[in-house]
Amino acid sequence: MRKDQTLGEFLRSQGVSRRGFLKYCSATASLMALPPSAVAQVAEALATARRPSVIWLSFQECTGCTESLTRSHAPTVESLIFDAISLDYHHTLQAAAGHGAEAAREAAMEENKGKYLLVVDGSIPAGNNGYSTIAGISNYDMLIDTAKDAFAIVAVGTCAAFGGLPQASPNPTGAVSVSDIITDKPIINVSGCPPIPVVITGVLAHFLTFGTIPALDALGRPAAFFGQNIHDRCYRRPFYERGEFAETFDDEGARKGWCLYKLGCKGPTTYNACATLKWNQGASFPIQSGHGCIGCSEPSFWDKGGFYDPISAGNWGSRDALLGAAAAGAALGVGSALAARARKRKAQAQEEA
Amino acid sequence: MTLLEFASGPGLQWALWIFVFGVVWRLIGALFLLSRKDLTKPREYNSMKAGLGAILSRSAPAHAFEKSIRFQHVTGYVWHFALFVSVLFFAPHILFFKSVLGFGWPHLPNTIILVTAITATAVLIALLIRRATHPVQRFISTVDDYISIFVVLIPLITGILAFAHFGARYETLLAIHLLSVEAMLIWFPFSKLMHAIMTMPARYQAGTAFGRRGVKA
Amino acid sequence: MNIEAMSLQDFRGLLQQIGEGVAGVDMSDEERVKRAKKAFMQKLNGHRAVDLDSCLQCGMCAEACHFYEATQNEKYAPVYKYRLLRRFYRREMSPMRWFYRLFTPDIKAADLKEWQHLVYDTCTGCGRCDMICPMGIKISAGIRVVRHGLAAAGLVPPEMRIVRNEQRDENKLFGVGAEQLKALAAKLGEQGIDIPLDHEQADVMLLTTAVEILLFPDTFASSARILNKSSANWTMFSDAFEATNVGIITGDDPTMKLAIKRIVDKAEACGIKTVVMPESGHAYQTLRWEGATEMNEQLPFEILSMPEFISAEIKAGHLSLNAQSNGASVTYHDPCRLARKGGVMQQPRDVLAALGLDVRETPANRRENYCCGGGCGEYVLKDAADLRQKAFEIKKREFEDTGADTVVTGCANCRVNLLIGAENSGWQTPVTSFVETVAANLAD
Repeated sequence: MRKDQTLGEFLRSQGVSRRGFLKYCSATASLMALPPSAVAQVAEALATARRPSVIWLSFQECTGCTESLTRSHAPTVESLIFDAISLDYHHTLQAAAGHGAEAAREAAMEENKGKYLLVVDGSIPAGNNGYSTIAGISNYDMLIDTAKDAFAIVAVGTCAAFGGLPQASPNPTGAVSVSDIITDKPIINVSGCPPIPVVITGVLAHFLTFGTIPALDALGRPAAFFGQNIHDRCYRRPFYERGEFAETFDDEGARKGWCLYKLGCKGPTTYNACATLKWNQGASFPIQSGHGCIGCSEPSFWDKGGFYDPISAGNWGSRDALLGAAAAGAALGVGSALAARARKRKAQAQEEA
Repeated sequence: MTLLEFASGPGLQWALWIFVFGVVWRLIGALFLLSRKDLTKPREYNSMKAGLGAILSRSAPAHAFEKSIRFQHVTGYVWHFALFVSVLFFAPHILFFKSVLGFGWPHLPNTIILVTAITATAVLIALLIRRATHPVQRFISTVDDYISIFVVLIPLITGILAFAHFGARYETLLAIHLLSVEAMLIWFPFSKLMHAIMTMPARYQAGTAFGRRGVKA
Repeated sequence: MNIEAMSLQDFRGLLQQIGEGVAGVDMSDEERVKRAKKAFMQKLNGHRAVDLDSCLQCGMCAEACHFYEATQNEKYAPVYKYRLLRRFYRREMSPMRWFYRLFTPDIKAADLKEWQHLVYDTCTGCGRCDMICPMGIKISAGIRVVRHGLAAAGLVPPEMRIVRNEQRDENKLFGVGAEQLKALAAKLGEQGIDIPLDHEQADVMLLTTAVEILLFPDTFASSARILNKSSANWTMFSDAFEATNVGIITGDDPTMKLAIKRIVDKAEACGIKTVVMPESGHAYQTLRWEGATEMNEQLPFEILSMPEFISAEIKAGHLSLNAQSNGASVTYHDPCRLARKGGVMQQPRDVLAALGLDVRETPANRRENYCCGGGCGEYVLKDAADLRQKAFEIKKREFEDTGADTVVTGCANCRVNLLIGAENSGWQTPVTSFVETVAANLAD
């Protein structure tokens, strides 16, 4: 797609019918929980959308977010969206490398000053800037530099949104999230490890349609996708209510599709769209496949007890510590009793005297 | 750190430490005080049988007293039974105990737990009203007695709300429930709630003291 | 038998005069508090600690107390009677005393004075509250410690103080001493009832009480007749015959020990093997269940109440009874300190049944029996007369429920108290002694 072409012109040139285009727009609108009346607005916006510049920075990440995103579901509308943006810098997808790639980034930043979208995946090592560098530039410096003239930032994946895996105890690199560093730009956290593909495209579609940030929750995540917890949308919820649980993997309860609470499912405290949108074009999601939710769209999910420890087990420390408390109590108890005994003996001795 | 992370992490940790520390301190401190050895010749009796027997028998009042204490007898039973079932046989609770003790036990269906939890709440409120209105109880009650009731009532109510996902976001409800339980754990050793532990030694010594004289405690 | 006994009316007159115009002990408030606290500290032990740390504040103890039941006055709840001790324990001896001191009020002289009424007038130490407590707290033992504290603080009520002084300093009670015993023994001897006084070679030592000598010489004579018929080689010592222990009733520890010591020393000195107690609940409780501990030695003799002695003699074939054929109905009033606190409940019933009597049980009986309200000598307390009368109404209700012709009891103090109550309310049913009932039906 040429830079000066609108999305509408591009689609027409590709042979996408008006009908097909409108079908996409209603799907997008309903994805964002917009009313049917908004479809026209979506269509208008997308048709006249000019391809905005997008710079994608990958820091301490595993590339899972990119994998999730670009795993083309089909030659369908998601890939169209990628033709609807000008992806000017992306480590995994770009052909260029080295100085040439960096030059492309700087040119895009200059040309689209104040208008480009910055997408970040991976966390930033604040412990030592040398832990992760690109072309000799530390993640921290690159982020500060690139964010300066960006319109908005999308932090894709739990690493960029909250710190993710690198931040897990003991956090050797001092990993932090994008919002820990950038405080003067709007940031949309699209968390998940990885996030659901259509969640990303839904956010971008919103941005393209309205030119604004979608409604965010308290953690900066789009409320349309992160506003409900898994537990409330889980199809296994009736089993939870009745108290029918799988006790171990592949036991009778597991095979019957019973609730996975006892096997560590973090559904009740996890907010994401997995239970409704699911993965792989609605094929399934972890719970449906028989594994508890690990809470991957939540901050610090690596450190909230084990994946197989139930929520109610808590994170209360060690049994040894409790035994220590008991020993301390016993010592104080014996001490206080001995002191009282001594006072009583004294009182009795006085009587005899 | 979110409220829930605090409540299920450091909050719970500290509460458990204080609970264990305080209970052991108070129990040992009372048991370690001496009593003069009774040198009188006891009647024929088995002291352990008398002691353990009293632990059981004092749960049911002697015949002549029944009529005058029937309300407290019945509500006492219903209250404790409903509380124990709600606390000990709800699956998420059992998982917590398992993490502390190393072993768990079978759970009861959630509907039964909901019934017992609501019953326990209702009965406790009834007992609270009695304490505030009955002439003897109103007269002898102290701040400890009332706080002890509230500190147990709030976990019950917040537990029901969390279970029903009613009133606020689930994490918030859960966090408040955990915090209320932690408040109870911290209050326990310093208050009347300690009676849960003291029942054993108190009744036991009544059993042996009366048993040696040939009287059923 | 024709023994001159003091009439109940005269005895009541005597009671009325005790402590008349006697002032309280003069002591500064500070001194009172200091002494009370010292006494509390001496008497608090592991058992009381566990008790005081276990109270639920359920108030069920009130439902067991005859004084609460009779008046519905919540201040008479047993838990409140030992509240003073709980405050002291929390501040001074409990494992968490440093914490409790922050908000537990200290003992003040005004508290001691308030508790004087509660502990002496409204508590007979009957232990019925001990039976009902769901935690198994020996509430009466706690109240007794409070009594010790008050006694140490010079707050024994004047009437009781006079009686205590008499026992402690003169070895007499209500004017009854060795002289009076000898005089009675002589009279009985004239009537053919042998009272072997001061025989040093005897095995069995019988005790009696001033109340028996004054009011119920028939009971005394009956005891002598029973012992004479039994296998016992018995005696009674004119310098150690008084079983009453005013120390335990007033909370005066030294006097309690002294009264016990007089008996034990004499028994040990004369190689006594068995001490037989008269009809007195507290006397039995004191000697049988506290004597050895107070004397700090296991006693070399056994201590039997009259029902136990009689029962044993019957079993051994040394005593036999004439069973009545008319099947008259009786109800047996269990003296608190003989039954609930002493363990003697079945023997009197077995013996009464063996006499052919129709023994009927009051709704509350044996270890749940209602106290007569007299508290083993607390009937000297004038301020509590009204309360005791109210408590008597409960006993009257219980007795009338049985429809029995006669009330039989095993404690002279219970008997006095019931007779006074009956006289005040015009109740006609006779109240008699177990020992007398047995003695009247001894087979030859």
